[in-house]
Amino acid sequence: MESWEAGPTAYAGPASPVRPGRTELGALATSGAPASLWLDVLDATIRTCQEHGRTDLVSWLWQRRAQLLHPHLRVLVVGAAKQGKSQLINALINAPVCVVGEDRGTMVPTVVRHTAAPTAQLIVRAAPDTAWTPDAARQDSIPLALDRLADALAETVAIQPAATVGRLHADVGVPRSLLASGLQLIDTPPLPGLPAVAPAAVGRLRELATDGRADLVLFVCEAGRELSDAEVAVLADLGRLFPSLVVAYTKTDYAAHWRRDLEASRMRLVQAGVPATVLPLSATLRVRAVQTGDAALNGESGFPALISLLEATVAAKPDRLARATVGVLGRTVTERLAVTLRDDLDAQRAESETSHAVKRLHETQRRMDELRKCATRWQTRLSDEVGDLMSDIEHDLRERTRAVIARADETFTEADPVRVWDEFEQWLREALLEVAQTSLGWLGDRAEWLARAVAAEFPAELGDVLPNWVPGVQGDVSERVTELESPQVERFTMTQKLFTGLRGSYGGVLMVGLVTSLTGMSLINPISLGGGAVFGGKSIREEGKSLLRRRQAVARATVRQHVDEIYVGLAKDAKDSVRRIQRALRDHFTAVTEDLQEAIIESLRSAKADAEREASVREGRARRTEQELIRLAGLQKQALALMAGPG
Amino acid sequence: MSGAGLAERAGRLLDDAAQVFRGHERAETWLRRHRERLVEPLRLAVAGPPGSGKSTLVNALIGEDVAPVVVEGAGGAPVWFQDGPRPVAHVFPPDAPAWTAPMRRAKEAGHAVDWALGGVSRVVVDWPCRALRHTRLLDAAGVEGDTEVPADALLYVTRHLGDDLTPLQESQSGRGAGAFPVHVMVVLSRADETAGGRPDAILGARQIARRRRREPRVAALCQDVLALSGQLALAGRGLREEEYASVAAVAALPKADADARLLSTDRFTAAGFGVDVPVQRREALLRRFGIGGLRLAVTLVRSGARSRAELGAQLMRQSGLTELQASISDLFTARRDALKARTALIALDHLLRAESRPQAAHLVAELDRLVAGAHEFRELRLLAALRTGRVTLPAELAVEARRLAGGEGTAHAERLGLPAESPPEQLWPVAEDAAGRWHQQTRAATTAGGRRAAEVVLRSCTAILDDLG
Repeated sequence: MESWEAGPTAYAGPASPVRPGRTELGALATSGAPASLWLDVLDATIRTCQEHGRTDLVSWLWQRRAQLLHPHLRVLVVGAAKQGKSQLINALINAPVCVVGEDRGTMVPTVVRHTAAPTAQLIVRAAPDTAWTPDAARQDSIPLALDRLADALAETVAIQPAATVGRLHADVGVPRSLLASGLQLIDTPPLPGLPAVAPAAVGRLRELATDGRADLVLFVCEAGRELSDAEVAVLADLGRLFPSLVVAYTKTDYAAHWRRDLEASRMRLVQAGVPATVLPLSATLRVRAVQTGDAALNGESGFPALISLLEATVAAKPDRLARATVGVLGRTVTERLAVTLRDDLDAQRAESETSHAVKRLHETQRRMDELRKCATRWQTRLSDEVGDLMSDIEHDLRERTRAVIARADETFTEADPVRVWDEFEQWLREALLEVAQTSLGWLGDRAEWLARAVAAEFPAELGDVLPNWVPGVQGDVSERVTELESPQVERFTMTQKLFTGLRGSYGGVLMVGLVTSLTGMSLINPISLGGGAVFGGKSIREEGKSLLRRRQAVARATVRQHVDEIYVGLAKDAKDSVRRIQRALRDHFTAVTEDLQEAIIESLRSAKADAEREASVREGRARRTEQELIRLAGLQKQALALMAGPG
Repeated sequence: MSGAGLAERAGRLLDDAAQVFRGHERAETWLRRHRERLVEPLRLAVAGPPGSGKSTLVNALIGEDVAPVVVEGAGGAPVWFQDGPRPVAHVFPPDAPAWTAPMRRAKEAGHAVDWALGGVSRVVVDWPCRALRHTRLLDAAGVEGDTEVPADALLYVTRHLGDDLTPLQESQSGRGAGAFPVHVMVVLSRADETAGGRPDAILGARQIARRRRREPRVAALCQDVLALSGQLALAGRGLREEEYASVAAVAALPKADADARLLSTDRFTAAGFGVDVPVQRREALLRRFGIGGLRLAVTLVRSGARSRAELGAQLMRQSGLTELQASISDLFTARRDALKARTALIALDHLLRAESRPQAAHLVAELDRLVAGAHEFRELRLLAALRTGRVTLPAELAVEARRLAGGEGTAHAERLGLPAESPPEQLWPVAEDAAGRWHQQTRAATTAGGRRAAEVVLRSCTAILDDLG
């Protein structure tokens, strides 16, 4: 509360917003400057309003301040139509100054005040919201005939241009001792809507109270009915602007059960929490009493009570009334300011849910999560695909080499390896080369596809993450497909043939020779020799055939072994390639992931920082608002202390 | 060309509409209900702000202390009063059949019906009374009246007709048949309280009413403005011998003494009254008359009301009830066919606007033609203008205009001032003569109002001639 202390009027009280204790206030009240205490609180309230930028409240409070310092007590007489407002004023000062009766009613507000000689004029104010005080700016003032005031007023008002109707009020001065102490009475036109509906009346009454510079409001309600809900609502609203209200319960001479209704009305006011003094009055009796000088009747009219109340209020204006007024004003104003602050606080709270930085933070966190999920996904995908590729390529090679072996077997079932070998070896090499190239080429295609499949696991928003290079198949295929040496086969040499022929012919000579010997021929004869030659030839042929078969089997076995060897080599190459590819892809995608992660972490960090900064700013603002609220509460406590203060 | 003619044509139009809207359940029900209402007694709503004396006015018109009828636990429901063999209340809960319930006298005033079944949309009270035979009365809680059952005419009751006429403006629908404010009368109630309740309070109130009814703004919204003290009217209608005796006893006091005792209610009911009237009886008197009424009654007795009957009659006259009854009878009850037709036409207009369908186009045209040609409403406005002095004609012309516009009966012979059974040959020359005279009058009249009045009368004459010829 810096401004609190640094204000134009030095404040002697505590600087903290803590409510001053009773004793403190009491000490202040007796320590020489009691009257200025309320002024200090009012000034503090005005300053607070200024700080909050509520110029409307400031000007209003300034006006109330000026009014409180003014020695006059202005009493605003308000109420629904036909309740006896003007009657009441006329009876109170015993002069027909206000328009009464018939259905004409009060058309313009009438200010009744003390003057040495009776005067009456219709005043055209400079603006609709100019005060009705005698010293305020006026555009025109038209004197009214005093002896026929009501008619003169009606006629004068009727000839005023329509545009000025909102700026008219009558100003009547009468020499009355009651008014001489500074009391001014203001008669007003009926409040609209009452007694049925309140809102229009509330607004109108606020205007009246402000423009009329009222210090006290006298609300008029006729006897014979209770205060209506709308009237209680209007009074409750007034209670926020004025410390004490007076409800005049008029026409008690006419109503049969006015006491019962009066009690009921009092009850309703108490229930609504409106601090109002309810006074039963009868203007008719008062007029009669004044005419006849009947003191008892005057007492019955209830006016003595009203007069003493008004006189007491006039006397109390510089101190007790002013204090109470400032108390009420302080309470009302701080409440009104607090409402704005509280709304502000709520708005800030709501805003924290929707701020940009927090949104960005949430978004980044979401992206981080996504990336984490994506990393697991692509790794799994890569290892699965590589496993598949491995088995596929192995199977492919196996199939293709099997086919080569089958072709080789076929060849060596028919042909003699010795004779066809060179030709065969040539074919075999070519076939194996083709196998290797096809298979490994396919592997290359698969590798590219694999890279694309893994890349597809990344969110599309990251753009192209494909590696620009996938390692191909390494190792020279032609190196793997080696030359196959012709297998070591037994050749059927001439010596062997001769030997085999001789062995076979030996048996044939002997067998035929023995048979022919029976016929007396010698063992060696031409026949036996012929038989021996046949036998020998057969043996040689048979031997040649079996040798061929053996050669063929050997060749087949050799080819098979050779192809197997090459297969193993190729498979090894393929597997190595696949592993290389796997490694390369893994490295590539890991790098991509890491890059992304780094970027996201960076943005997460900045988003977090932003959010934190924003939160701290908001918190600071909220704390300031809260402090402001606490300050207001302190001010309100001081205002309330004024109301409850000694006196 | 009589009111019955308009009602007949409105009825025919409703029948046509029923044909067009066959199969449309809601419209059919709506039309049937309005067709039925066309032949029912006039429905007269008594509405106004709270505490303005609506129930007292209803009681004054019925002549007994009936209203307000309060359904315990369901306040604010509109209450209809109709003629019936014995006093009984029919309570209509929303969306449920009616329930007949006995009424008991309430502690303060009026009657109460015990009810424990929640909301009530309206109450219909049977009460044996001659005044209700041709008119049903609605005691509405607010200004709106009964939203479900529209009233044909409205008595707007208010203590004080200020410059703000919005409630009256709200009662006008402003379109078609609703554009004629022939169904509204304003009653300035509680006239006995005017100007502090002096004995001449009601006179003052009557002067106010006379001034207000001629104001063009007010005239544009209602037929008439009347001052009434419902309390005094009721007291006068049912004045008891003992009440008369008490009033006479007070009146017998020296004037100064009596005036002092009548100064305030407290003084009137105070001990040591000086006259042999017990406190209870004085309180009862106060309840029944009010202090202003008592002052008037005492003045009346002093100035020559020597019996109960005489005082009662004078009170009724003073209260303004007689004038009100005459106005109601002339402007509402006598022309109830026109007013009923008006309600039906407004209802049909609503229906045609809400449910437009191609087949209904000719109905719209027909309705427009009927409303445009509805001379009855203009006649009613003329009658009201003559009554209230908004239009001034020379005395004998005014009488004739009133008669020709149907102020004394809507039959041709009645309009022409001839015996009821006169044959058409006799009516013709008289009607022709009247038409000629009023044709002249349309040019001879010195004021615009007079000319317009003459035009309306001339139109009535030509309508008679049309009908005869």
